[in-house]
Amino acid sequence: MTANYKSVFDIIGPVMIGPSSSHTAGAVSIGHAARKIFRAPATQLTVRYYESFAQTHRGHGTDYALVAGVLGLAPADPRVPDALTLAQQQGLTVQFIEMAGASPIGHPNTAILTLSNAQKTIEVAGCSIGGGTIEIRRIAVDGFELTPRGPLPILLVWGAANNDQIIQNKLAKMTNIIQQKRYTHAKRQLVEFDLERNLQQHEVASLQASGAELVYI
Amino acid sequence: MQIYATIAELVAAVTAEDVSLSELMIRQEVANSGSSRADIWAAMEHNLDAMAAAVKRGSTGAGAFSKTGLTGGEAIKLKHYRATHQSLSGDTMLAAVQNAIATNEVNAAMGVVCATPTAGASGTLPGVLFMLQERLKMSREQMVRFLFTAGAFGMVIANNAMIAGATGGCQAEVGSASGMAAAAAVEIAGGTPAQSAEALAMALSNLLGLVCDPIAGLVELPCVKRNAIGATNALVAADMALAGLTNKIPADEVVGAMKKIGEDMPQSLRETGQGGLAATPTGIKMKLRIFGQDRNLE
Repeated sequence: MTANYKSVFDIIGPVMIGPSSSHTAGAVSIGHAARKIFRAPATQLTVRYYESFAQTHRGHGTDYALVAGVLGLAPADPRVPDALTLAQQQGLTVQFIEMAGASPIGHPNTAILTLSNAQKTIEVAGCSIGGGTIEIRRIAVDGFELTPRGPLPILLVWGAANNDQIIQNKLAKMTNIIQQKRYTHAKRQLVEFDLERNLQQHEVASLQASGAELVYI
Repeated sequence: MQIYATIAELVAAVTAEDVSLSELMIRQEVANSGSSRADIWAAMEHNLDAMAAAVKRGSTGAGAFSKTGLTGGEAIKLKHYRATHQSLSGDTMLAAVQNAIATNEVNAAMGVVCATPTAGASGTLPGVLFMLQERLKMSREQMVRFLFTAGAFGMVIANNAMIAGATGGCQAEVGSASGMAAAAAVEIAGGTPAQSAEALAMALSNLLGLVCDPIAGLVELPCVKRNAIGATNALVAADMALAGLTNKIPADEVVGAMKKIGEDMPQSLRETGQGGLAATPTGIKMKLRIFGQDRNLE
């Protein structure tokens, strides 16, 4: 048994705008993950849908839900259904493409988000596994090609080797590190930590206080 | 991290530790999350309040209506019927049905609901809970505990099988919710943990094979009324368990069967809006009316 659902609130919750926990609330979370990884205001979002997402995204509000997440709205924010208008107002251009064929990350509820501005482009492949819980199975950022196990939470730490050692020591006191992967690109490093449990806000703040550049999703 | 792998383990643990299922779930959440007991309790109260608000919204005034016009206002019809007629299935059952339909009408109208375990199945648990609140004069504490107990069983189902229509069909959504509600109802009524497991086994067995065939891919038809069946099926299963009836096939094996059935289910019946009721002439007409000419995939 892989325990993808680690909290009672993965089952009873989230409180959300309807109509679908996987296609709406989960989509908000995928958008939110992409926003965090991008770490800057984006001007262009392209979404590629696969399988059930490709067939039913319009009916389930997946379009506005993903955009709501990219804009930083919470799943229960009443503005979620108006996210496409909000995006327009904030200068974010969006495009949705329904792909034929199987999901490249092996799940029927797959969305691959490409987020960009004049400086950079990232790609995040997420799937919504049910009840609003998501997995992130591929990330392309700053030239790194990440392949996480999928389940959240995931912590990404950029920079020098001693940086991630400090983070690792701090993390070890908070929770178990299920998997740790080091990626290198153009002499730069990025370390991915797959964590056993969600971190509290003050714990993330304590990690950030070490000065390392990091993203917690 | 301690997560119960099976329903049998869950039942054994509450028996060994001599605590209620809800208490075990709360302790597990405290241990696993790093949050305080008070915060966890408050978060569940917040979820309970969201459920109550959805039931109220769907049952007040004209009710809730979706933008497409496919669903809405039927919880209100039931409310009037209950007030003016002697119903066939009894007012207790119809109260549960009304709560369930009200919640899913709010969901279809893009209102605020609490996913239990999903938004598509969000009416099943409140359908049972808010009816029992009146019938058993449940306290607020008991209602919060009902949700922790339901969540404990839901976690086992979600981690061993699936709760998404796209991976397992509606059996994974309304079926899971119905099993969770049945198990929690038994505990509130004073049944044993073993009876809770039997209630879950019977409720889920009754909905095995249920496909996910939403018209136009919308969480409206047949989703809203399937929650009515999820809620009433839970109550029937809970009563059967409390009366000492057993499923014979243990709950964990039923969950295993659901997983296998979900995996065997064709894609057209897993939340693609392409098979079942979605593929009927009327279903296709509705889709064309709402979305216009169907576009082909690239």
